[in-house]
Amino acid sequence: MSGEALFREGEELGPVELRPDQGQVIRYCALQWAFPAFFYDEAAARAQGMPGTLVPGPLKVGLLYRAVEAWLGGRGWVRQVRATHRRPDLVGRPVVIAGRVVRVYEEGGRQRADLELAVINEEGQPSVRGFAVVEAGNGGR
Amino acid sequence: MPEESLLTDEVRALVGRETRLGRVQVTARAFRRAWEVYAGGPPAEVPAEGEPVPGYVITGLESESEAPVFPDLLPNSLLIANEWSFERPLRMGEWLEMVHRVTDVRERFGGRFGYSIDVLSETAFFDAEGRLVARSGRTMTQYSAADAAGGGEE
Repeated sequence: MSGEALFREGEELGPVELRPDQGQVIRYCALQWAFPAFFYDEAAARAQGMPGTLVPGPLKVGLLYRAVEAWLGGRGWVRQVRATHRRPDLVGRPVVIAGRVVRVYEEGGRQRADLELAVINEEGQPSVRGFAVVEAGNGGR
Repeated sequence: MPEESLLTDEVRALVGRETRLGRVQVTARAFRRAWEVYAGGPPAEVPAEGEPVPGYVITGLESESEAPVFPDLLPNSLLIANEWSFERPLRMGEWLEMVHRVTDVRERFGGRFGYSIDVLSETAFFDAEGRLVARSGRTMTQYSAADAAGGGEE
């Protein structure tokens, strides 16, 4: 691989502790202009069989993106983030984002790294399985 | 579980059909709003014209239009996966053309949802020269809560 290696296989991301709150969820709903009641109305969520108001899945994708961007610390940019939603996360409950570099390679003359990610709930179970691709540099500005 | 596949020729014909959703601009307002959602407060500064902005700004851009509604084949639906991918960083001030497409429809048998149908769709963002800049994809699963096995991993 040419140049200095900016990423290292096995390098860890996090743990990043977060507690998505109702205000953040409502701002997300406003950003999307979509307001399913189970995101902000406790009674409506329980009426649909949920244990409480839920953190929207796409909000968690953005939180993964933020965690990867912070981990990069200016070394590169985020080419891809994807997430598989396995379990709901409740608003106001703590979650942890954790990840690890699983592959470092070169493509198009640029160093890239693949990361496996997870959002882990307070029971220690993954609520989201994630994956990201980052690339060294600034994306060809 | 239905006696026959719900993926009729009419439903399958929706796969690959493109819908132009119009143009959207990466604005300081879009940046500020997305930042407040994901970072939890107002940004200290806003990128200048032509500077890169975080990819999560795509969330607000998508909501500037409404994608065509996929028919309800089963009574319940749930988001099971999301993906954002970028050919290059989004840039402040640029205009992007949004094109929506259903990329696949799949039947599933068994698992936590019982018989279910996954609908994969995406919004692609193209720059003024028609080059692909980004994609925002999602997988919705349609299922019948009455037939679902309950929570837990698939």
